[in-house]
Amino acid sequence: MKQLRIVMVGDVDAGKSTILGRLLVDVGQVTEEKLRELESSSAKRGVPIEYSFLLDAFQVERDQAITLDVSRVWVRTRDAEFVFVDAPGHRELIRNLLSGASEVDAPVMVVAADEGITPQTRKQALFLQWLGFRDILVAINKLDLAQDPQAEFQRRKTEVAEFLAQLDIIPHAILPVAARNGDNVVTSGSLTAWWSGPTLLEALKALERRERQAGGPLRFLVQDVYRRDGSRFVAGRVESGELHCGDYLTFWPLQTGARVTRIVQWPRVVERASAGSPVAIELDSRVFVDRGAVGSRASDAPELGHVLQARVVWLGADSAKAGETLRLRLGTREIPVTIQRIDEVIDPETIEPKSAEELRSGDVAIVTLVSRELIAADVALGGSSITRFILVRNGTIVAGGRVDAVVGRARGEGATNVVAMTSSVETHERSERNGHGGGVFWLTGLPSAGKSTVAMAVQRMLFERGRNVYVLDGDTLRTTLNVDLGFSDEDRAENVRRTAAVAGVFADAGFIVICALISPFAADRELARAAYPNGFNEIYVSCDLATAERRDVKGHYQRARRGELAHFTGVSSPYEIPKAPDFVVDTTSQRVEESAAMLLEYIEAQVLEPTTLRA
Amino acid sequence: MRSVTSKLSDRRADSLNGMATTLDAYLDELEARTIYILREAYSCVNPLAMLWSIGKDSTALLWMVRKAFLGDVPFPVVLLDTGMEFPEVYAFRDWLVDEWNLPVEAELCPPESTVDQTLPPASRHAARKTAGLRALIEREKYRGIILGIRRDEQAIRAKERIFSPRNGDGSWDPRMQPPELWEYFPYDIPDGAHVRIHPLLHWTELDIWRYTLREKIPYVPLYLAKNGKRYRSLGESNITFPIDSNADTVERIISELEVTRQPERAGRAMDNESEDAFERLRTSGYM
Repeated sequence: MKQLRIVMVGDVDAGKSTILGRLLVDVGQVTEEKLRELESSSAKRGVPIEYSFLLDAFQVERDQAITLDVSRVWVRTRDAEFVFVDAPGHRELIRNLLSGASEVDAPVMVVAADEGITPQTRKQALFLQWLGFRDILVAINKLDLAQDPQAEFQRRKTEVAEFLAQLDIIPHAILPVAARNGDNVVTSGSLTAWWSGPTLLEALKALERRERQAGGPLRFLVQDVYRRDGSRFVAGRVESGELHCGDYLTFWPLQTGARVTRIVQWPRVVERASAGSPVAIELDSRVFVDRGAVGSRASDAPELGHVLQARVVWLGADSAKAGETLRLRLGTREIPVTIQRIDEVIDPETIEPKSAEELRSGDVAIVTLVSRELIAADVALGGSSITRFILVRNGTIVAGGRVDAVVGRARGEGATNVVAMTSSVETHERSERNGHGGGVFWLTGLPSAGKSTVAMAVQRMLFERGRNVYVLDGDTLRTTLNVDLGFSDEDRAENVRRTAAVAGVFADAGFIVICALISPFAADRELARAAYPNGFNEIYVSCDLATAERRDVKGHYQRARRGELAHFTGVSSPYEIPKAPDFVVDTTSQRVEESAAMLLEYIEAQVLEPTTLRA
Repeated sequence: MRSVTSKLSDRRADSLNGMATTLDAYLDELEARTIYILREAYSCVNPLAMLWSIGKDSTALLWMVRKAFLGDVPFPVVLLDTGMEFPEVYAFRDWLVDEWNLPVEAELCPPESTVDQTLPPASRHAARKTAGLRALIEREKYRGIILGIRRDEQAIRAKERIFSPRNGDGSWDPRMQPPELWEYFPYDIPDGAHVRIHPLLHWTELDIWRYTLREKIPYVPLYLAKNGKRYRSLGESNITFPIDSNADTVERIISELEVTRQPERAGRAMDNESEDAFERLRTSGYM
């Protein structure tokens, strides 16, 4: 007995519900009584027998003859059981289509012969591709309306095949149907007598289940930790691969590790658990593990990084722009992420990418997301739950997504079992000896805004007052620590991450660290803040573009204008002005000495104020 | 000759084993999904309670709750009592509460005179449970209520989501349901509202009986045929009627269901009073 879950897609009037209604009647699942009821119900509304009424249970649906929300229909034959998810074709109800389609084995796309591929069909096909379906069935319906059904079918078949090929979707079969008459649904009929291929039911039976990846790398998704009789059980599900008793598991992203001593599937204790199994495991040591963690073998770790490139479908009623921070739910983990950039939006008409300023409801897009926290994700496993995610805005699900790439840090191999040491000198002891606390003062602004100049001037002033101070200059670091990095968005993010990590160490050592980096993206600056959250100060060195370009200390603006420098901030790459900087100096109207003096005052207030000392 | 026979019977045994394996794998998959949902609910929604109607579905669900939480039932199991259940149902309840050590709480439902009088008579009676549930949620401030409904029971229930957010009065707006992508359920519940959690939504009646048989889960004996009649769905004694059946074992119930064309809730008066009776009950907060 084969059990299959199928989703029906197609434009509003293509006849999805009619096909399902007809299927129910023709496999003999509808009683005489129900059929009579259907006749009277149809007659009451002045229409010929309407098979879709079997599905469209809601009053309002019967009256408007459309399907409002995802419904399920069970069809049972001798050798197969089907659950059909009837998804609405209505434009505003795409979230319902996605809700229905995300759990099935295969889709059936219904195209009305008299309409062909409509804009709505295009959009739905794009969603199917986004959901990762490669294998679909296509039913060309309403052939009863065509003058020459066979010719009409051939024409539509070619049109559909060409369109789907653009999306890399190869249909399992494209077949003719006249659902109202029942032709080629369960049995072939007079209208489709020329058709030698399968009926819809035969083609459905030939589909395969989408199985979990038994062969993939082990992924154990932690849902919770339960305590029973003094023992601790880590509860979760094996997402892929196979978990064995005795396995040494590393839990990401914290990289804690322990050996599995017992696998419980209450009331049984088992030796191993396969993909899809819910289990509770005991470990040989009391390492920190909590909801959100992903367990793997150390040699087969997920990708780790702060930056994700992802393909998303935006469902939010309100659009989104780069810079917005949302909550990411990936597996059982939930963390804030910022949309660093909207890379491209797919145009459903042409299936070509185009650039866009914002994500609108129904858009399929490629975006770059960045998080302060380290993210563990997979890109290779199509079906794994640590590839798929959702985005949440104020408690509402606004997007679904799939991770295409994890950027910002290499695989975590070799970094397992690292334990941070506790320092033998405490921060407040350093502050007391130095007479001031440490802190990171992050100067951001356009090229030639005067960041380095102001930083150097302030450094001199602080040094002369006996403060421990050091300037980390972006350009200087690019000749040493960051010599391997270029100016792509990913490399800029990594440049910021490393610089911030070094700044954090200096600040911890009691130094006043002044960083001068263009750091054009808000999301990257947020990442920098995360490296030293309690003593980080974002200082905006404000300067209008015209003034900066006039100064052009290094001649870069001129070269960028000539097209010689790609990714040059202010010219060929954007600069995101800080929305809520901790302090602003304005070098358009102030001289360097004035800016430096103001900044000096601000810095001293921060590091000398006892409340800001990190105790 | 002998070898041919044994080969044939081997092949038959193989194919039978094959069928059993796919069915087992299928039931395992349904169960795994339910356990995942239960654990998600317990981790992310608090306070939480489960309704137990004492029927086959919510009893199978209780069994899976025990599987999810290592034998425990870590939240209250609530009985919405109208005082009108069959005596066999009450007897079974008392026995299982003891047997499984269930943390039960009984909620007495308000009388019929307090519910919407424009509903047809049997629906009016069923609406007592809606009122009882509303009172319970208001008093205990539950944010999540776990229910054993299934999509194949009834066309209106087929439209449900696994996590179904409700307004303060428990009402359901099927047109404003949030998206439910993969297994990401909406946990953010505004103050005063709650979420109905439906971990059995993807099961069918047949699945439940196959699972009940495999797992040896106890059930109310009224489901088995006696003198040519059995109850296929159990509700209060005054609005539930038995169907014609000779299925006096679970195996026979399964065989019966594999071929039946009768809807499961044919014996439930409230579903069949008028075209929209059940929709009206559900949108106003019925289970």
